[in-house]
Amino acid sequence: MDASFLDLLMAQQEEVTEAEGGGGIWVVADVVDGAIAPVTLEAIGAARNLAGSLGAYVYAVLLGDGVSGLAATLYQAGADGVRVADHPALASFAVEPYLEVLLNLFQAEGPEVILFGATPQGQELAPRVAQRLGGGLIEHATAMTLDEATRTVQAAIPIYGGQYFEIVACPQARPQVLTVEPGAFPAPFMDPYRKGEPKSIEVAPVEPRVRVLGPAEDFTPPPVPLAQAPVVVAAGRQAGDFGLVEQLAAALGGRVAGDRGARDAGWIGPEQIVDIRGVTVAPKVYVAVGIRGDTFHNAAIDNARFILAIHPDPTAPIFKVADLCIEGDPKEVLPALLAALGK
Amino acid sequence: MRIIVILGRVLDPRGIVVNPRAGRIFINREEYRLQPADRCALELALRIKEASGAEVVALPRTFLPDDDVLRQALATGADRAVYIAGQPTALPDDGLMARVLVAAVEKLGGADLILTGATTLDTGQGQLGPRLAEALGWPQILGAWTAGVANGAVWAVRQDGAGYVKVEAPLPAVVTVVPGALKPRYPDGRRLINIYKGVGEIAAALERWEATDLVAPEALVPTLERRGQDFPPERERGTRLSGTLEEVARAAADALRARLSR
Repeated sequence: MDASFLDLLMAQQEEVTEAEGGGGIWVVADVVDGAIAPVTLEAIGAARNLAGSLGAYVYAVLLGDGVSGLAATLYQAGADGVRVADHPALASFAVEPYLEVLLNLFQAEGPEVILFGATPQGQELAPRVAQRLGGGLIEHATAMTLDEATRTVQAAIPIYGGQYFEIVACPQARPQVLTVEPGAFPAPFMDPYRKGEPKSIEVAPVEPRVRVLGPAEDFTPPPVPLAQAPVVVAAGRQAGDFGLVEQLAAALGGRVAGDRGARDAGWIGPEQIVDIRGVTVAPKVYVAVGIRGDTFHNAAIDNARFILAIHPDPTAPIFKVADLCIEGDPKEVLPALLAALGK
Repeated sequence: MRIIVILGRVLDPRGIVVNPRAGRIFINREEYRLQPADRCALELALRIKEASGAEVVALPRTFLPDDDVLRQALATGADRAVYIAGQPTALPDDGLMARVLVAAVEKLGGADLILTGATTLDTGQGQLGPRLAEALGWPQILGAWTAGVANGAVWAVRQDGAGYVKVEAPLPAVVTVVPGALKPRYPDGRRLINIYKGVGEIAAALERWEATDLVAPEALVPTLERRGQDFPPERERGTRLSGTLEEVARAAADALRARLSR
């Protein structure tokens, strides 16, 4: 069959039509740099899965200035209906104007479930929407299932940064409001033939109560202790060129550390030694450059979420605890890695 | 001027071992401490008190089995603390506590500023501050690194993308503080001993209220229900990258980018 014929056939699909009668699952879209944020698309994908079991429609709400053109993306991601509040007063995010639009809309539509991205915007709006509508709020959902008997969404929330998850629900409160953790749900299939006609929302401008006075140029945040740093690049005796280690740390926005070998080489101070007798770390990313990995060091990085190890010796113990291992001389690997990172 | 600071406690994660294979959490050392972000909020309240002479009142973030958190706040410099007695919930229930705390704020005779942590260390929840702001009809500044009060308004510095911006809101307002924003002071040893021994004025600064006296019994029904636990899949360690140096570097760079974006 000719591919163009298939295209023609698909294009004859009917436009998405909306149901009457309120309810449904509503996703409040995040717009970043003039595009729909990936977390919004992920939330629509998650909402579609719930909608199948719930027998509900999925709606998306888009707020901003000059954002009407983005509605097509929301339909393609799986929304059955899109509401657009396109107004100059919504050009930049502020709580009160956005909240006014959402509350008016939700009070009229009576949603069953409302999803926000767990983004700064979502975290400002979701609790206020839940409070005003008398709803329950589950923050940072990483998985969602449905208790079909009670039409209650059950969600997994990370505890201590994801060491384990609690499964929670708000069985009594309606609507059920959730914020969805970015990257936790797969991005939905974008169907280019899925279309619809978005509905406009009337916007009555509301003055924001929080005023931005300007950049805080004289403010410097306090340094993050090594134990709490989200990214750590640590050097060991085999690191070779410590300057490259510092470059990699700068490229990843991380802190420089090392093992006792790096301390002996005079590259780091005693407060930078990663070791159970020194500092125990739990970063999002830990890069061990030329660290052989003795028991004391490896125990101190046990709670790191991702470990990349670079060492020339294939039998180095660090390779038993690292998620990703590169056997090679750090003096050769680091320049290539920096080039691959575009630094 | 009255500042209310809302404080909670957290089980020290250093005393916990999670075994995903067994599907169990082992608590080796049950030691509680102030939520790190709440501790910064208390420090901010005390700095504002020192600058403007405000009264600092500490309230609990959840129903606590004991009042240690509030005694610590008094020992650190708070002027008054109220222990709200109620049935502790399995997980912190900010929806329920917002109702109770709004009633407590009203019973205290109102406030000019409410400070609390922007997020909790264990559950990562940050809804209490904005819920209070909505219930009281006040503006909110979330995620402040520092803040101050001047001319009937509160200013704060908060992160905006890669930079920091200064924002301002009229009082009364709710401000939440990020963990690690300020270097908190330690409780004063003598005040702490006096509080526990019940000696002096400081001991009288700790009051006890019953939640049932603040809100109707139906308002004390928890919003959040705990339905189980789940554990992350076991990690596959020791994956070795192979190929040319460029291929290996590209694969490692992609993995790092993916991890950093989560």
